[in-house]
Amino acid sequence: MNAASEPLPIAPSVSPTGGDAALAARLAARDAEALREVVALHAGVLHRVAFRMTGDAHEAEDIVQEALLRLWDHAPALADRHPAGSQAAAHLRLGGWLQRVVTNLAIDRLRRARRIAGGEVPEEEDAAPLADALIEAGEREGQARALVLALPERQRAAIVLTYYEDLPNAEAAAALDMNIKAFESLLHRARAALRQAFAAQGDTP
Amino acid sequence: MSVNENDPGAPIAKDSPLARALDGFAAPGLPAGFADRVAVAAGTRAAPLPELRRPVRSRRWRIGQRIAIGVASFGVLATAATATGLLQQLAIPVHSAETVWASITGTAKAAPAPKPAAPALAAAAEATPAAVTIDGPIDTPEELGEAFRRVDQVRAGRREERRAIIDQRIRSEIERRRAAGLPVPTPEEEARLRARIDAELARREQRADAAIAARRDTMQRKVANGEALTREDITGRPPVDPKLRETVRELRQLPPEERREAWRNLPPEERRALIDQARSRRAARANPATVPAAEPAPSPTPAE
Repeated sequence: MNAASEPLPIAPSVSPTGGDAALAARLAARDAEALREVVALHAGVLHRVAFRMTGDAHEAEDIVQEALLRLWDHAPALADRHPAGSQAAAHLRLGGWLQRVVTNLAIDRLRRARRIAGGEVPEEEDAAPLADALIEAGEREGQARALVLALPERQRAAIVLTYYEDLPNAEAAAALDMNIKAFESLLHRARAALRQAFAAQGDTP
Repeated sequence: MSVNENDPGAPIAKDSPLARALDGFAAPGLPAGFADRVAVAAGTRAAPLPELRRPVRSRRWRIGQRIAIGVASFGVLATAATATGLLQQLAIPVHSAETVWASITGTAKAAPAPKPAAPALAAAAEATPAAVTIDGPIDTPEELGEAFRRVDQVRAGRREERRAIIDQRIRSEIERRRAAGLPVPTPEEEARLRARIDAELARREQRADAAIAARRDTMQRKVANGEALTREDITGRPPVDPKLRETVRELRQLPPEERREAWRNLPPEERRALIDQARSRRAARANPATVPAAEPAPSPTPAE
């Protein structure tokens, strides 16, 4: 499920110029315009995932940029493995590939930050003063943010991918590099933890 | 939120309070110049490292590869141990493929019963009854001849027994090699081996015969002079202290390690006496000419 006023959760994985394999081939040929197309197609979704994983917009931008640059680096190998017009080309999904990279990068950064800080990533406070009209919305956002960011990294990723981005379980499992049964178990634990935290806040789940 | 109360991990319903709370976590949009920034970064990015020459394999494949290498190594070592006969030396039975197949198909032949060592000694002793009775010390040529006859009979029995043991050892070794799938000697090689053993046995007999003949001459001269042969004359050795003999017998029954330990624990004077006794016996064996009479006793356990 999406938050209001956000773009569609899943960007179409077919580029206007003829499939992800063709796009990968253009990236491999160092076509900057192809990279812009990829940004236009996928960056919004990736940024939302990264932001909800880290809770930091700047960190999320860095993660998305890093994922896109990795795609730029790996494009020749991807294009070699999925030559345009072949059967393998039909299976290439750059969106899924980027989703996996972004999720892994976000988890890596969260773990690194936890190692350095010795605890959970602190919740970011919005320094800007809130207008009176936005106080209620801000409180609600703070509550949701606290709920999601309190989850362990992989459980958080499972909630972000399935609840916020409406990914099917199979695709979310692929993004986390897990088999479907293990992912479903992880998702079950994540939802239970969310409900428990929500109940602890004093609301009825 | 329509939560299944029994399942806290159930999907989150859209209109539930939890869903409303979660929907408050809105994500900001990307800044306007993000695509340009990425394009610039891609343009200035260093070229990626070349592909690894060795293909990167998954963890599962690496573990499988290690297991396969381990199993293959174990197989090679086990085969080598079997081929070199190490397992037989460690008393681990190794069945040949033929034996296993025969046991599966039920066509196993009954193993030939091992032939017991020829009881030649007892048979030889019973072969010819003594014509002359030896009463007391040997002091007549007849008694001496009877003693020589008994000694020869026992020696012949021992010779046969020794030959039977050698035959049995050769046969069992060939069987073992055949069962283990090892090369067995050809009939020519076996014949050569037996000829070598026979030659060695003949040399041994020749040496023993020469020594016995010399000792018998001495004993015959003594009897012809009317002297009686004492036990010392017959054995050629000084009488052994029964206590020392018992100690030696007990030591010989022990396994090597325990025998060494028991030897170290003996009193020094007893150890010295045993050493002296062994030294004198060795000297007597090395130079039988100096010994006055060394023919084995005509008792049921002659020395020769």
